Amino acid sequence: MKNLLVGLFNMGLVLLAAPLLDGVLRQVRARLHSRQGPPLLQPWYDLAKLMVKDDQAGANNFIFAAAPVICLGAVLLASLFIPMGGIVPLGFAGDALVLIYILTLAPICMCLGGMASGSPFAYVGSNREIMMLMVVEPVLAITLIASAIKGHSLLLANSIHYYVAHLPALSLIVCGIAFFMAVQLEVAKLPFDLAEAEQEIMEGPLVEYSGRKLALFQWSLYGKLIVFLTLFVETFLPWPKLGNLPVDILITLVKVLVAAVLVEIVAQVFPRLKIAQTMRYFAGVVGFALAGLVLAVMGL
Amino acid sequence: MTAESLISAIRQRFPGTLLASQQPNPSRLFLTVAREGMPPVADYLFNTAMARLIMSVGTDKSPIDGTYEVSYIFALDRENLIVSVKEVVNPADPRVPSLTNLIPGADWHEREVYDLLGIVAEGHPDPRRLVVADDWPEDIFPLRKNVPYSLRPPRVTTLKPPLREPKENEKKATVLSVGPFYPTLEEPAYFRLYVEGEKIVGSDYRGFFCHRGIEKVTETVLDYNQVPFIAERICGICGFVHSACYCMAVEQAAEIEIPPRAKYIRTIMLELERVHSHLLWIGLAAHIIGFDTVLMQSWRIREPVMWLAEAITGNRKTYGMNLVGGVRRDIDAVMCEQILSVLAKVETEAKELVDAAVGDQALKMRLQNVGVLSPEDARKICVVGPTARASGVAIDTRKDFPYLAYPELDFKIAVQQGCDIWSRTLIRAEETFTAIDLIRQSIKRMPAGELMADVGPIPPWREGVGSVEAPRGEASHYVLTGPDNRPYRWRVRAATYPQLQAVPRMLDRMSIADFPIIVGSVDPCFSCTERVIAVDATTRQVRTYKKNELLALTRQSLRQVIQK
Repeated sequence: MKNLLVGLFNMGLVLLAAPLLDGVLRQVRARLHSRQGPPLLQPWYDLAKLMVKDDQAGANNFIFAAAPVICLGAVLLASLFIPMGGIVPLGFAGDALVLIYILTLAPICMCLGGMASGSPFAYVGSNREIMMLMVVEPVLAITLIASAIKGHSLLLANSIHYYVAHLPALSLIVCGIAFFMAVQLEVAKLPFDLAEAEQEIMEGPLVEYSGRKLALFQWSLYGKLIVFLTLFVETFLPWPKLGNLPVDILITLVKVLVAAVLVEIVAQVFPRLKIAQTMRYFAGVVGFALAGLVLAVMGL
Repeated sequence: MTAESLISAIRQRFPGTLLASQQPNPSRLFLTVAREGMPPVADYLFNTAMARLIMSVGTDKSPIDGTYEVSYIFALDRENLIVSVKEVVNPADPRVPSLTNLIPGADWHEREVYDLLGIVAEGHPDPRRLVVADDWPEDIFPLRKNVPYSLRPPRVTTLKPPLREPKENEKKATVLSVGPFYPTLEEPAYFRLYVEGEKIVGSDYRGFFCHRGIEKVTETVLDYNQVPFIAERICGICGFVHSACYCMAVEQAAEIEIPPRAKYIRTIMLELERVHSHLLWIGLAAHIIGFDTVLMQSWRIREPVMWLAEAITGNRKTYGMNLVGGVRRDIDAVMCEQILSVLAKVETEAKELVDAAVGDQALKMRLQNVGVLSPEDARKICVVGPTARASGVAIDTRKDFPYLAYPELDFKIAVQQGCDIWSRTLIRAEETFTAIDLIRQSIKRMPAGELMADVGPIPPWREGVGSVEAPRGEASHYVLTGPDNRPYRWRVRAATYPQLQAVPRMLDRMSIADFPIIVGSVDPCFSCTERVIAVDATTRQVRTYKKNELLALTRQSLRQVIQK
């Protein structure tokens, strides 16, 4: 019963609260820019506007049309595998690995949709996305495996409960930092938004999208931010867990908000990197995450 | 090298070539050479005297003496001498020897002379059309005097965009079409990039979408004092540069000495434009590489300068201050105080921003060793302004050809040796502060007195070349005075004209991610280059359309299209 409720809550969070979080971040961005910024509900207005706009016809084949739907679906599905207040709605042994696969589905859909559009800009963007996935997915896998080793369980929830009951471990601090660095790329925030890069390749894979399909992609990007940050704070910063579910969830949400503001601030103080620079940077992050894994194996 | 030694050197080396020479003032020399003598003389000027090609001007003088003329205007930057070398062309056989193989920077100039006057540059390596629209008829050359300014050529059915065939190494590359409308190009321009993966292996350019023939309008319907207002509308950022430059060319041709106070007022306005233009560029460049925080802060700092311009002239942009012979508005003591206080604030804030940006390692990673233009290429393509100075070519019109109040002011020009975008950024940052300092000096030294000189009738058939250091580099205007109270020929060369020709070299072997910032790094101003005009010159009336009227008009034209 609890699992069902948390599952519904997670999906609601990804669908309804995620655009609102982006509205908050737009305000943060505006403050850093010395601007007034748009109203908090602006992402909702944007989505609503896109929903009633004419859809792009023409380059319409099956993949082009299905990609945005599967993309948002993958994010929604992922929301059922992320812990919330220590509870993983669809938890089973090995859920962490399944989660990684599902989370990879979203960017893959974006690439496929972009490639199906036939625009050379989309090709360049999809290329970049795939290259970046290849360096960032290992970080997610390594860090989650480290957490599983530490918690002596393939169940995400068990690892979390184990970690809550113990003091911060060096290995998981290292992995947490690596994971947080990867989040910046996963949610397509500067300085790693190369796949979209408005000024360079005109939103890359999204260049030919408009209307409803574009709205779905936007929505899944908003959702991804919450999914990744919740996974991050629950797995690597799980304290305190008071045992009272609503209070625990509230604490998690506050932590997610703080982490999101941090992500936005980082995005606003760096220029966009180039693909080679990004690859070099994340090769370092993979090494860092591996160090965390070794520490976890050593029991630190 | 003085004018006399230059003339005697040409006489000695190429006997019989020099047909006439004229030196109306110490810093301008007008030579006429025989047609076949042009390449050796140009070779001597460019390679031995180390002159820089400013522009070439084609003039149709057939109604007067039955000839065409083509002048190549060179600058000897170290000697404060601008040399115009003219050759006379027979309209029955309009051909001149091409100089492009000698001076790569002559490329566009010769293509433009063909497009507008039909004078063929023989031996030009790439004689594609440059300026006129794709559907312009092959046999109409708009700047010929027998073509009416209001000519509407018949519609053609086939379009031939003047893009080149891919070279051997480009055949297998992917074609990436950038433009004509693109997020980081504020004006229409089309770049065709040949890319392999992320690497650019070749590029082609088609511009001049905004060419509307303001030179033609000037030569046919406007008079001397109307031109400054249209000249100012050439550019949306450095408009004052163009009106001042035009006025200086006419004043020089007519030997009008403008009052000292007017000189200082023009100087102050020019430097104010530099301050806001450089701050604009810093913001745009940051935006191009995704650094919007710098964009917003830099434009916030810039805004008071725009308000200041509005307080001085009544307008944020397009000041309408210049006339031949002086300026129309004074800057009084109260305004001077206001300028100083605004600049003090701008200076502190800009300093904070620049210090933060210069220390930013991530910015350096994006900008260093990107868009490299070697000093040799910079000289060959004759680039100007910050683009040249970043490649170690120490030229600045304010120092080399001192005009207005600059001879009396104390300043150093910024030069960097890095040849990359980072150097161009540092130069622009430094120049912002130099400009603020120059305004302070000007305000301190500004003498009292008249604003306008007495301008009598302007004698015909005199030539003048005005050069002004715009924020983007030297802008040059050539004026040949005419008999009808208007210029007989007016040629505008903005700084972006040579700069854009250097872009293919900067792009070579760079990545797609670098493309926008490389184009942005020359601070391109397409409308300047293409000489845009947005005013109805025939009726000179402004008509405001209401929304419904506009809708009706659109629908009407749509119906016409459908019916066809």
